[in-house]
Amino acid sequence: MSVELATRLIDVLGGLLLFTMLLILAAGQVFRAIYAVAAQAVFLGFAGAVLAAATGNVDLWVIAFITIVAKAIVLPWLLIRVVRRVQISREIEPVIPVHVTLVLAAGIVVLAFHLNASLGTVRQTITGNALPVGLTLILIGVLVMATRRKALVQMVGLFASENGIFFTAMAISQGMPLIIEIGVILDVVLGALVMGILVLRVRSSVDTDIADLESLKG
Amino acid sequence: MDTTTPTQVARTVAQAALLLAVAPLVTGYVQKLKARLQCRQGASVWQPYRDLSKLLRKGTVQSDTASPFFRAIPVLVLAATLTATAMLPVLWAPAGPATVPLGDAILLVGLLALARFLLAVGALDAGGAFGGMGASREMTVGLLVEPALMLTVFSVAVSAGTTDVELLAARRAPLLLSWTAPDLLALFAMLILALAETGRIPVDNPDTHLELTMLHEGMLLEHSGPGLACIALATHVKQLVTLTLVAALFLPVGLAADATPRAIALALAAFGLKIVALATFLGLVESSYAKLRFFRVPQFLGLGLVCAFLALALRVL
Repeated sequence: MSVELATRLIDVLGGLLLFTMLLILAAGQVFRAIYAVAAQAVFLGFAGAVLAAATGNVDLWVIAFITIVAKAIVLPWLLIRVVRRVQISREIEPVIPVHVTLVLAAGIVVLAFHLNASLGTVRQTITGNALPVGLTLILIGVLVMATRRKALVQMVGLFASENGIFFTAMAISQGMPLIIEIGVILDVVLGALVMGILVLRVRSSVDTDIADLESLKG
Repeated sequence: MDTTTPTQVARTVAQAALLLAVAPLVTGYVQKLKARLQCRQGASVWQPYRDLSKLLRKGTVQSDTASPFFRAIPVLVLAATLTATAMLPVLWAPAGPATVPLGDAILLVGLLALARFLLAVGALDAGGAFGGMGASREMTVGLLVEPALMLTVFSVAVSAGTTDVELLAARRAPLLLSWTAPDLLALFAMLILALAETGRIPVDNPDTHLELTMLHEGMLLEHSGPGLACIALATHVKQLVTLTLVAALFLPVGLAADATPRAIALALAAFGLKIVALATFLGLVESSYAKLRFFRVPQFLGLGLVCAFLALALRVL
């Protein structure tokens, strides 16, 4: 695969990642957000495969495959299972109105692309605009975690942030070493499992919500 | 190609006539598709034409409180919408600038806004409660749709270096496969806006006359007879104008550069395919989603607005 084609494909996939991120942010229901983060992982896996084909880096093929299997299939399945089990209301409960977070997100994107201009030496020619897109995903993921009340949606934000870290790594160093990448993905899966079990346990033993924990602060 | 004034005018009139003739058919197609997806037989695709001819034969009843201006509104709405078609490349996309510039995308959006304004004024003028409510809701939606539409158009215009939609389509046609991230975001924004602009389900329900849910229909309640036919036709044309704008901005393939019969036949086929694809999109979305609560609409359109803003921001940055 030629470098130009790879650059263009990664650019387009970056646009799709941004769009799925906005979908996560604008989703009014928990399931929509989960589907959007799954789609995001699929696009991320494709981006990894494109970069692998362009650079001939075998590790990246493995990472792309693991990304699609773990983040696009296993984790969303786990989240949907937890949502079904705890039978929470399916509406997302934002701390600040959704359209305000959308405006903040627009600001974040502009900020990331503005910062990108001063980071010119860091980025590679092959991944083009991947660096600001990765930064945007990380920051908007944090925004999702900060502005949603439900623990499950906060997990979706965490996954989106993780996707952003992966994409940033791709942008500046053609992906991290295989062993680190596998470790990170295992971490995320384990974190999701622990959080899922925690949400289930908290729900079944004390009927409470994450937001209620605020009142415990002295 | 050298465009002389008479042929250019003849082309524009031909394109407007084509859009006018086909517009009710597109609505009929979407309704048929919806009916089929709901396992119903549905009305024929020609039903909108029958409705129009029925309305044209009826008499007009007018509210006592309406001013004389009320009678002029349907004609003005139809005229503004039809004038908007003159700015669109339906079949032809001249490679060079036109000798008589008819107007650009800004005027196009402005004319659609004018039609919306006239409808709202008419609804307020008639003095009915539903008219006022419908007008207020339609203007709220318009407030969110119009700036996003402008941002989307500008985002594409920046890449082509012109706001003239015909020229823009002609310049972008060879670049079809070199899509970049801003193009994608602009396309998503445009698809979201198209749903709102054509009054389709997540935003508005074109089939309902239930007072609590209607936006656009609320403004038409006081109109009757030929006036209502004019407004219904204007609604059909506006829907087709929106779809053609999407096609011109993002899929400008198959447009004829000259007037040879072969090029025109090809352009006609391409136009038909693009419109059927977009109308199918409208029908599928309408069948698979529920109408949003009105206070949720800003959230949905906010997504379109942010996408449009980012499409422009990424293009400029």
